[in-house]
Amino acid sequence: METKNRGDLTINGYGASNGGQFHRVIINGKGTINSDVECMDFECNGTGFVNGNLYSKNAKVSGKGKFFGKITSNSLKVEGRAMVDGDISARNFRVSGSASINGCVKSEDMKVHGRLTVDKDCEADVFKAECQFTIGGLLNVDLVDVKIYGECHAQEIGGQTIKIKQKSSLFAQLFKPLFQTMLETELIEGDHIELENTAAKVVRGNDVTIGPNCKIGLVEYTETLTQDKKSIIEESRKI
Amino acid sequence: MSEELISKKELLELMGISYGQLYRWKRKDLIPEEWFVRKSAFTGQETFFPKEKIIERINKIQTMKENLSLDELANMFSPNVTELSLGQDELIKRNIVSEQVLTFYLENEKGGPQFDFSRILEIFILEKLLQSGDINLDEGKMLLQVLKESGSLIKQKDCELIIVRKLGVSSCLLLVNAEAVHFDKGTRMVSRLSLLNCIEEIKAKLW
Repeated sequence: METKNRGDLTINGYGASNGGQFHRVIINGKGTINSDVECMDFECNGTGFVNGNLYSKNAKVSGKGKFFGKITSNSLKVEGRAMVDGDISARNFRVSGSASINGCVKSEDMKVHGRLTVDKDCEADVFKAECQFTIGGLLNVDLVDVKIYGECHAQEIGGQTIKIKQKSSLFAQLFKPLFQTMLETELIEGDHIELENTAAKVVRGNDVTIGPNCKIGLVEYTETLTQDKKSIIEESRKI
Repeated sequence: MSEELISKKELLELMGISYGQLYRWKRKDLIPEEWFVRKSAFTGQETFFPKEKIIERINKIQTMKENLSLDELANMFSPNVTELSLGQDELIKRNIVSEQVLTFYLENEKGGPQFDFSRILEIFILEKLLQSGDINLDEGKMLLQVLKESGSLIKQKDCELIIVRKLGVSSCLLLVNAEAVHFDKGTRMVSRLSLLNCIEEIKAKLW
């Protein structure tokens, strides 16, 4: 990509642009970009709207960003709130606020603190999260390491190592009767599975550890199954 | 679809692979989304696969993953035809086409000496059918005409090429996403080729 001769797009205050190719795009204030935008660095510090697709090397949303197309970026950081209508493809994807995506997510390394909503499938090599999440499709990840806050939901989870833990904090313990910290899912399939606070219909794996507060319909395992006393497994089968 | 299906569990056991591998391959698009067939079983939903295709694919992945990275493999399996162009000598050297067929092709087509992927595919199919003795040179011309006219279709979809003969008269058909074909009794199907398989074979030779 020849980027040296490209100009920068800076919106300070209130403004709009028709998009195009830039070196850096910075929105401080309220800015609207009315078509596709392609750049090296994208930064949105106030309220930004992109009525098209975003292609960038580094993208950062520190305020509020709404994207009506898809985002393709090497790294994507959401530190405020991002809403994306299309798909996200980002090698590095960090969320420390809230991100809701109406499409699917493809990433290599995902770290989420806060809240994540994906309507379709979510794919990554590593998915580390301390958050509340909702995934409408399949969470397909090599290594899932999640500490859940609140109610989480995923249609299916598949991968190699899957660890679901409950995040224990004073707050959570005080308000335990009010907030249910549970992960709900139809199906979990993986080689090594460790679960806590999980309600699943079917769990299939080689080594399965069911920790406290789980409610599992059926466990199918090939090697070992460990069960905590405070959990319910309706049926288990060794294959 | 009357294909035989295999459940995910049976597949893992049969091929000796793990959930992690299967999900990783799916993620890298080595196994197409359409092959994941969801069906309700008595234990809730289960995933099934078309047995023949998935076993063949996994065998291929397992034999080739030592030499190629997963991304390279994905490139190879994708039906989107890659950008490339080869010279005549290269084609012969890589065993894609024999010299006689190449001359015949060039005589009929009158194209340049550089081959892009769709021309490589045409010449590869021609070579395959001529060498197997299924068709003669005149039929080869007919085949080329069909392939040329519907070239844009071939790259996207699951196409099959069929050559039939009745009372010594042959004709050539291109099926796009078809499930089955039936002919009357007097018609003999001379040859049936899946173009996706051909593309994979070529790609295997190019690597």
